Amino acid sequence: MTYFLSGGAKNGKSTLAQNLAVSLAQGGKHYYIATMIPVDDEDRERIRRHVADREGLGFETIECGRHILSCLETADPDGTFLLDSVTALLMNELFPAEKNYEMDIQAAARCVGELTAFVRTVRNAVIVSDYLYSDAIRYDKSTEVYRRCLADIDRALAGVCDTVVEVSAGQVILHKGEL
Amino acid sequence: MILIIGGAYQGKLDFAKAAFALSEEDVFSCTGDTIDFSKRCVDRIEEFTYGCVQKGVEPKTFFQTHREQWRDSILICQDIFCGVVPMDPDQREWRQATGRLCQYLAGEASQVSRIFCGLEQRLK
Repeated sequence: MTYFLSGGAKNGKSTLAQNLAVSLAQGGKHYYIATMIPVDDEDRERIRRHVADREGLGFETIECGRHILSCLETADPDGTFLLDSVTALLMNELFPAEKNYEMDIQAAARCVGELTAFVRTVRNAVIVSDYLYSDAIRYDKSTEVYRRCLADIDRALAGVCDTVVEVSAGQVILHKGEL
Repeated sequence: MILIIGGAYQGKLDFAKAAFALSEEDVFSCTGDTIDFSKRCVDRIEEFTYGCVQKGVEPKTFFQTHREQWRDSILICQDIFCGVVPMDPDQREWRQATGRLCQYLAGEASQVSRIFCGLEQRLK
């Protein structure tokens, strides 16, 4: 089963995603795909909090900030994968640090292809994204490109995943499939 | 009238095209304070309201006075209501005026659909 979760920040997406992944795994292999590539202490602190949250849940952590299919070189596709989040993954792909954060415009199409292939390959996946499309700010060009690319990925994932859920204040709004 | 709302890039127009068999020629896409109700579908109403605000026109009043022209239309507007209150006074007024318009249109509509990641959520 494959699940796509989105919604506003701090609404309980990660908690729901963790619970879903653990219950899908039924005691079998479950992987946490860590997408954030830390650049400063703030990032490291956030990662530390997330690691503490997952303690005792039995996740095996895979560091994978880019090229999501590369996870499958070592992980068992018959397992359960929690990817949190698409937002961070796209950031790494679209604005690569080693290229001085210059926009790689091919990144979105590549992410769509790799993520949809990933969802079709693995037994169970829970994928988390962020809903950042409903404010009244006229953003600068690169932010607009980022939002559009993320939405393209979200829509593709919502298309291929069995279940699509929007999380609001810890509650779920079911848009497709069942929980 | 059918009202379709949703965040940026969520696939509102794609949904409308598929659900109501619209072609490109059936769609007027707003870019400023002019609008063409002769088309079956009017997209990007948030750009129309942005143009209105800059000219000091209240978009809800405009729609009320032209009701006969859009009562059978498919209207699409972006949901711009969930962010922080904008610092810029024009953007603030844009958000308010668009919200007033959407509430009015949703009241008049026979169907209101919200599009989330390409999927329809029927609100009315």
